[in-house]
Amino acid sequence: MAVITLQTFFIALFGIAALWFGVVVFRTSSMMRSALALLFSQTALGAMFLAMQAEFLGVLQIMMMATEMSIMAIFMVMFMMDPGGLGEMEMTHQKRLSIAAGVIGALAVSGVALFAHWGPVTTVAPAAAEQIRGLGTELLGRSMIIFETAGVTILTAMIAATAVAMPALQRKKTA
Amino acid sequence: MSPDLLTALIVGAGLFGIGLYGALSQTNLVMIMMGVELILAGALVNLVAFWRFLHPGSYAGQMFVLIVMTVMAVEMAVGFGVAIARFRARGSVEMEEARELKG
Repeated sequence: MAVITLQTFFIALFGIAALWFGVVVFRTSSMMRSALALLFSQTALGAMFLAMQAEFLGVLQIMMMATEMSIMAIFMVMFMMDPGGLGEMEMTHQKRLSIAAGVIGALAVSGVALFAHWGPVTTVAPAAAEQIRGLGTELLGRSMIIFETAGVTILTAMIAATAVAMPALQRKKTA
Repeated sequence: MSPDLLTALIVGAGLFGIGLYGALSQTNLVMIMMGVELILAGALVNLVAFWRFLHPGSYAGQMFVLIVMTVMAVEMAVGFGVAIARFRARGSVEMEEARELKG
């Protein structure tokens, strides 16, 4: 019982941290701070996965997001007029509509979470080694086509992104 | 209902709401992408919670998490590609200046 209580505490703690840093992303005028806040939010989510005993997914989330958000921070410096936020620029529009949509969306999803019947809850999770074995069997067995499709999709996206980002060719006019 | 599951689902709902606000309110392409990332993060929390507390014996739940992580990576790659193309063409990634795309 004590373990479950501690687990609930850490899930809630990291969840609140993820939400708090998620809010900070849109409250700071510095885009660098926004990128770092998103990194902390995603890292808190990874820690939350670890608290939920999903070790592999937690570590994967932290590693992946650390890389992704670092790249995002570099892009902020490259492309933003004021990445440090020294000019206090206003970079929002339709604020009331957005707040209303966000609040209504969050309340609707929370309502579903609260009132839906989710069925019996399991308190015991498989051991970490068993999870890795089970996920590996799933990936290389029943879900192999889906997994392969995801890999090909990432490759396609990489090629497409590179092609889009390349400067337009200056073709020589032929006489 | 288990307090653990409920906590995780509420966190997922909160992240969805914050991300929706960000995606709708921001004028900068990279900031809009951050909002979409938060929406997908909300989906991730829900998927992990459903796997852990409802079906820990079925690893299809973890497979779904990997698929959503793939979607996040693809969104970032394509988004940054579009951002670079836009910056080359117009010198800015402000979406207020992209009204001509509206049609």
